[in-house]
Amino acid sequence: MNSMLTVMKFTIRNKLYSKSYIITTLIIALLMALGANAPYLIQKLTGNSEPTKVGYIEGQHSEITQGLADYFAGQEEPDVALVAIPPTGSEDSDIEALKQAIKEGKIKGYITFKENAEVGFPDVTYSSEKLLESSTSQALQGALQMVKTNIAVSDAKLTESQQKKLFAPVSLTSVQISLSEDEGTGKSVEEQATAIGLTYVIIILLFMAIMITGTMIATEITAEKSSRVMEILVTSVAPLKQMFGKIIGTFIAGLTQLVVLGAVLAANLSLPQNKDAFASFGIRLDSIDPLLLVFAVFFYLAGYFLFATLFAALGSMASRTEDMNQVVMPVSMLMLIGFYIAIYGLSNPDSPLVVVCSFVPFFAPFLMFLRIGLSDPLWWETTLSIVLLLATTGLLGWLSAKIYRTGILMYGKRPTIKELLKAMKAYKV
Amino acid sequence: MKPLVVERVVKHYGDKTAVNGLGFEVAEGEIYGLLGANGAGKTTTMRMVLGLILPDEGSIRYFGKPYSQEQLRMLGYLPEERGMYPKIKVSDQIIYLAQLRGMSRKDADANLKRWLEKFEISEYYNKKVEELSKGNQQKIQFIAAVIHRPRIVILDEAFSGLDPVNVELLKSTVKELRDQGTSILFSTHRMEHVEELCRNITILHRSNPVLQGSIKEIKSRFPQERVALAADRPIEGLERIPGVVSVARLENGSYDLRIREPETAQRILQHALSQGPIRRFELLEPTLNEIFIRTVGDRHE
Repeated sequence: MNSMLTVMKFTIRNKLYSKSYIITTLIIALLMALGANAPYLIQKLTGNSEPTKVGYIEGQHSEITQGLADYFAGQEEPDVALVAIPPTGSEDSDIEALKQAIKEGKIKGYITFKENAEVGFPDVTYSSEKLLESSTSQALQGALQMVKTNIAVSDAKLTESQQKKLFAPVSLTSVQISLSEDEGTGKSVEEQATAIGLTYVIIILLFMAIMITGTMIATEITAEKSSRVMEILVTSVAPLKQMFGKIIGTFIAGLTQLVVLGAVLAANLSLPQNKDAFASFGIRLDSIDPLLLVFAVFFYLAGYFLFATLFAALGSMASRTEDMNQVVMPVSMLMLIGFYIAIYGLSNPDSPLVVVCSFVPFFAPFLMFLRIGLSDPLWWETTLSIVLLLATTGLLGWLSAKIYRTGILMYGKRPTIKELLKAMKAYKV
Repeated sequence: MKPLVVERVVKHYGDKTAVNGLGFEVAEGEIYGLLGANGAGKTTTMRMVLGLILPDEGSIRYFGKPYSQEQLRMLGYLPEERGMYPKIKVSDQIIYLAQLRGMSRKDADANLKRWLEKFEISEYYNKKVEELSKGNQQKIQFIAAVIHRPRIVILDEAFSGLDPVNVELLKSTVKELRDQGTSILFSTHRMEHVEELCRNITILHRSNPVLQGSIKEIKSRFPQERVALAADRPIEGLERIPGVVSVARLENGSYDLRIREPETAQRILQHALSQGPIRRFELLEPTLNEIFIRTVGDRHE
């Protein structure tokens, strides 16, 4: 037990202090922070939250400008702030004065009015240096419409209740109903989108975490073998302790990375500005089922140990790093197949293929999780899948330990299964 | 109680026999030589002693006890093919290996510093192994094998690839270990090292122990059949003396003669003296090298 701890500590230490580990973590953390803030940043970059200063000639159509000012003043985050420019007398010199104000940076653009007797409301022109300032002109358009309606309504002398009726917004909500069985998901559109998005992200994370750490374990074992450190290691520690020390150590190093990244993501997502931004994209983080996260952690653990022991066993069979990829290929393929079925299953979580494969231990970490996230597997289905997964993990862990015990002492070309069995018999493992 | 007793061990790999009925004992403070051509079964024997593979027959006992996990701690191993983590600091990996063998971190660190000082390479404490020269890597490897003060050390080709200065340094260190009571199982192809270090040896040939015993006793079993002769002037007619098998003239002007029995040596000396003064005359006992080649070579036919 003691020496297993030593192996674990050594593995973790070397991981955590290695440059590549630190750099990857930092880069991914940075990307995640960017990704988490992306919706907000997009909003920020397109719509400046500082109100755009728009100039007008004081006294001209004071009814309208006053209405506009009132309208923007009533907004929480006004898009436009009106700036009055004192009149000079003539129309031309007024324009000159407005242009001068733009030059001085007092305003970004200005509005001018032209009588339109037909509508009974002047045509308004918004002039600015920028060609495409749609957000400002949209804001002005909306505001002017409001002002115009207000003027018209006040002209019509409506009662207050009439006005209320007129301005009351129409309400339309869409709700997805579930017709399947008694405990339908009953998830709203937003919740569904969030579930799909979350499941997608977690499956990719699961796949990447297991694949990367698995390959890492295989690579390290092969490297230890090819550098012949293995000969010293096996004479110091029992191979089993060594293998599991390495697997658990790498797991903890990987988990540390995940926790750091998760913390970065969570911290960024919980920034107040991001909540609104995500909401506007239809993603509601508070609708995440905590049970789903528990399952995510469980399948990560089970999947990790299932594949890590396999990777370790295969890594022990390669004598050189160049052979390693070839040796671990079957396991990589197995993982890829599971991953692709999962991607397919995102849009068809109830298809027979996904249902059947969710009981296959090698695919279960991805597929059972997918089904739990997106549809409603029966309780016995989940239980059966998990039991099969755990049993296989135990069995393969045992078998891998035997292969590992033998493989690490075999040098030369990659052994065939027959040679391996022969060697296992010779080594009496 | 002998530290290491190997009794009639047999190991088969499939239908091939790797070691066939080998037995020997290593006493406290003894260096035991295990010799043999490539593929003779030395590595298999060492792996069995290290507990990496179990013998099919026979037994190996350490201080009277059979192999167990506890024995690992008193074993030290310097493998033939050197292995270290190239990208990890010397201190980190040596301390790691020492810890795996049950040393405390502090103890291992102090011990490592002492060893580095002894080898005059203290400045490599914080260096990565890949930055070191081959000779220095080998010293580090040696430290890794003995840092936990093992009672039994297995050295497989300990001095290969070292320059003469470093060979002497490591050799004297091995002798020190021996004098401190460590039992050492030593394998090499360099017979002069064996002659210098080992008391008892086994020569393995094709899985079988063909020659065993103390070096002195083994040598006495082989007749003295070589004469070294040097004179100022060339000596004529040496090959015509009865009993002389061959005569070789060396580059420095001296002669190397093979004879059938020791008595011939006297006739050679008389013959040489009759032609002029002699600078050197010696009846040589066979070197281990010759014994090895004869033992192993004879059986090739």
